[in-house]
Amino acid sequence: MIFQADLCGYCGACASVCPLGIIELNGYKIEVLEGCNNCKNCIHICPLGAFQEAKKDEI
Amino acid sequence: MKYDVVVVGGRISGSIASLYASKQDVNVLMIEKNQEIGTPVQCAGGVTRSFFETLQMKPPQKLICSEIEGAILHAPDGEKFLTKNSLLQGYILERKMLDKALAIKSAEAGTDIMLKAQVKDLIIEKGQVKGVIVRHQGKLLEIPSKIVIGADGVESQVARMAGLHNGHNPQDLISCAQYEMVGLDIDPEILEFYFGFNKAPGGYVWIFPKGENRANVGLGVRYGANSAIYYLNKFISHLKGKIVELNVGGVPIGGPLKKTYSHGVLLTGDAAGHVDPVTGGGMHLSAVCSSLAGKIAAEAVINENLSSSYLSRYEKEWKKRIGKNLQRSLKYRALFDNMDDEELNSLIKFLNTNDFKSLSTLSILKLAREYPKLFLVLKNIL
Ligand SMILES: Cc1cc2nc3c(=O)[nH]c(=O)nc-3n(C[C@H](O)[C@H](O)[C@H](O)COP(=O)(O)OP(=O)(O)OC[C@H]3O[C@@H](n4cnc5c(N)ncnc54)[C@H](O)[C@@H]3O)c2cc1C
Ligand code: SF4
Ligand code: SF4
Repeated sequence: MIFQADLCGYCGACASVCPLGIIELNGYKIEVLEGCNNCKNCIHICPLGAFQEAKKDEI
Repeated sequence: MKYDVVVVGGRISGSIASLYASKQDVNVLMIEKNQEIGTPVQCAGGVTRSFFETLQMKPPQKLICSEIEGAILHAPDGEKFLTKNSLLQGYILERKMLDKALAIKSAEAGTDIMLKAQVKDLIIEKGQVKGVIVRHQGKLLEIPSKIVIGADGVESQVARMAGLHNGHNPQDLISCAQYEMVGLDIDPEILEFYFGFNKAPGGYVWIFPKGENRANVGLGVRYGANSAIYYLNKFISHLKGKIVELNVGGVPIGGPLKKTYSHGVLLTGDAAGHVDPVTGGGMHLSAVCSSLAGKIAAEAVINENLSSSYLSRYEKEWKKRIGKNLQRSLKYRALFDNMDDEELNSLIKFLNTNDFKSLSTLSILKLAREYPKLFLVLKNIL
């Protein structure tokens, strides 16, 4: 999963669907902590397409 | 620093909950992680008149962008249905000003407000929540409190930390994008909704007027091949207006959480799933539930009973007020989820003509058997 910070609109939708609770939104800053299981929930939910699938060798 | 009630989240639900707690003789702190109340906006600003009636407030004129008299539903095939049912009548508000106005009211009633402060954890002793740990101005602070109200929205950390929720299933969240636009050719008293898989898969497009030529134009999608902003850009490409603001957000439409209270904790607003699963509207439910949360939290402090069993009256109360409506709405949502464009065309044709023959597609009849009252209800609401 690749996160493009400059696309983010700071709405928290990704944090609310992350089963591991590793997406933290603080003001106008978003942090994806370690441990992603690549479930893709954040990719599906982001209204601005800020999360994208990583290419296989980047996971 | 020590409080009777700490409210996490400083927008509509947090401000209402803290206001209603502060109306009683308890000391209240509201914590908001952003530096400003009400931004970034995640709302189209539509409320029914019941919102102000619940809060026993006169609608403040400076917050009202337009008064709504009805709505037009646009079927995927272009057929339109106009309704002026009184249930749809209400206001389009300037949401960021509403949140701020409610926070000011709460502060005037005695609430302390802490901004740019993020709740990172709960203080829990022997299973009882006893306060919050906050990151504020570069420091981690422990703030003891007798009750914590989680009004921290769709991303609620309080719900997770209290063990009441583990995040939403993406199917239960609608992904929304909205532009505020000017220079539009619209009726300032009429809401517009567009349905169709190509326009907004799993959701709908809304145009909520904010004055003569200004409106919030937005949409929500689920199971789309593309993100919400893609569909929104496509939709507005045929409009003449200019964009003046962008808002995005996720709306929880899976119904309320199974449990909205625990030892020393109450959840309210989006954090509790207090959102209508069909319309995605949450403000009117916030007015009901967050005022109850504030009131019951204060009573628990005054009665020195912070147990889960005492706080269960919060859930009993909100269920009594809005529980049935939410359950009914969940059923309707399941029904709408199963409708394809052809069925939506038939439904809007039926609403226009009253002719049951237009409902002849098999799946609609099947669904109508499952929910025999639905069409009557639709006739009544629309
Ligand atoms: C695009 C869009 C359009 C909508 N349109 C309408 C509409 O027209 N009518 C309607 O009724 N509803 C609408 N809704 C739904 C409505 O906006 C929500 O139901 C409502 O905003 C919920 O309010 P809330 O106070 O519970 O949560 P929020 O508004 O999400 O507020 C939560 C607050 O908590 C803060 N917070 C979160 N975590 C922490 C933390 N750890 N520490 C401190 N602070 C924290 C956040 O910064 C935020 O300010 C819409 C939603 C969207 C996304
Ligand atoms: S869902 Fe997208 S826009 Fe919203 S906070 Fe997450 S990355 Fe940002
Ligand atoms: S892919 Fe799944 S686990 Fe990884 S950050 Fe996104 S939601 Fe969380």
